[in-house]
Amino acid sequence: MSDAIDLGLGLVDHQLIDSEGRRCGKVDDLELTGIQEGRLQVAEILVGRRGAVHVPWEEVAKVDSGVHLKRTAAELRLGRGDVRARKLVAWIPGAQ
Amino acid sequence: MKKIFEIALGILAAIGGFVDIGDIVFNVAAGAMFGFELLWVVVIGVGAIVTYSEMCGRVAVVSQRAVMDAVRERLGYRVGLVSLVAGQLVNLLTIAAEIGGIALALQLLAGLPFRVLLVLAVLGLGIVIWALPFEWIERVFGYVGLTMLVFAVAALKLNPNWNSVASGFVPHVPSQDVALYAFFAVGLIGAATVPYEVYFYSSGAIEERWTPKDLGLNKANAIIGYSLGGFLSCALMIMAGALFYPRGITPESLGTVGLGAEVPLGQVGLVLALIGVLFAVGGAAIDSAFSGAYNVAQFFGWEWGKYRRPVDAPRFTVGWMAMLVAGFLIVVTGVDPIQVTEYSVIFSVVALPLTYVPILLVANDRAYMGRHANGRIANVFGIGYLAVILVISVAAIPLMIITNMGQG
Repeated sequence: MSDAIDLGLGLVDHQLIDSEGRRCGKVDDLELTGIQEGRLQVAEILVGRRGAVHVPWEEVAKVDSGVHLKRTAAELRLGRGDVRARKLVAWIPGAQ
Repeated sequence: MKKIFEIALGILAAIGGFVDIGDIVFNVAAGAMFGFELLWVVVIGVGAIVTYSEMCGRVAVVSQRAVMDAVRERLGYRVGLVSLVAGQLVNLLTIAAEIGGIALALQLLAGLPFRVLLVLAVLGLGIVIWALPFEWIERVFGYVGLTMLVFAVAALKLNPNWNSVASGFVPHVPSQDVALYAFFAVGLIGAATVPYEVYFYSSGAIEERWTPKDLGLNKANAIIGYSLGGFLSCALMIMAGALFYPRGITPESLGTVGLGAEVPLGQVGLVLALIGVLFAVGGAAIDSAFSGAYNVAQFFGWEWGKYRRPVDAPRFTVGWMAMLVAGFLIVVTGVDPIQVTEYSVIFSVVALPLTYVPILLVANDRAYMGRHANGRIANVFGIGYLAVILVISVAAIPLMIITNMGQG
């Protein structure tokens, strides 16, 4: 894949994957800066619809069909719905 | 040698996995109503599912993204959400129909009250999904489902007029009952292409850790597996065309379908047929439960996969459990499972374009797929079948109303 990517097609709505290979949300929106200065740049990835989690672009390790992050989901406060749902299944024998 | 063995195993699973309650209902009903006249439509339906399964499997192998990922990426959140909701409604109707089908088959085998068997069916499915690894689930149900091949033997023994069978494979439109004929044509294509098949197939490629080295396996699985599944569909229609059509019998229950194996082959035929139906439909119930969970997880980006421990993909785990419970709640109300099946198939046709279009777009994206992007053949078939799907998705609801759901 070349250096240039189409933000709409190649980034927005793509899968986020943390440093341990876990899926942890989608790129729901992007925050761009430097519009007035003429040096447009992706500053943050927004994850979630309301009360979105902001992931600074510096945390991105690699972009292919997914967006790979440098740290774990827990460190970036992503995938928190799994923490709640885990309680629902953890008690069943064989869940661990 | 090991490779060939592996391919054979996968294909066998695909044959058993293709035929579900929708295929059984529509192929048998079409045979009873029109004899062999609609056989050619089965070929079209199988061609469509082969084309799109191969495509979405290839996308999954190359990009590690399944169908609902592609839907979200290509259609965006809002339109994608429409596709998700439509797909999930159809998945719900489908799983309800499959669970009902399991209970009907169990009832014919064991004779307990229907609602008791529904509970047993759902508990059994839940335990199997929980306890068995992905590959085993697919294979156990696929292989035992192969006993449905008894319908092919039954069709042979009923000694149909092979000239009429052969002419059934030539596309044509009858001079009367055109609307009813068209309704069954839509239903047959819908039954062959129910959306959970591509959701499940693409996610399954990731579950089984296929890599680009397995692209040949993907192609063989899709082409041979689904074609042989289509062979089974044709066998059901030929059986019904030879047995029910001349006698004017309209099969209204699964028991009548079993009769199709019992009349030519006796008690053994009946038992084999019911076991085959039980496992084929049971496998489809699991596929559609997983599909429901895959879809939501993929749309919102949650961790998913049976290859993960349940605590490591908890929302996915809750998802398939919720599908089983929801399917159970629908059939336990007392609705006729056969009717639920008919609705699930007809509505699935309406929802299909929003699933197939994103697959076709992603499979053509060279930035995404590199040298594995669609070639000319995949696109000729892909666009051709998409055109067919678009036409029938527009025609499905009007035909359902005009023909009073195939009652004429």
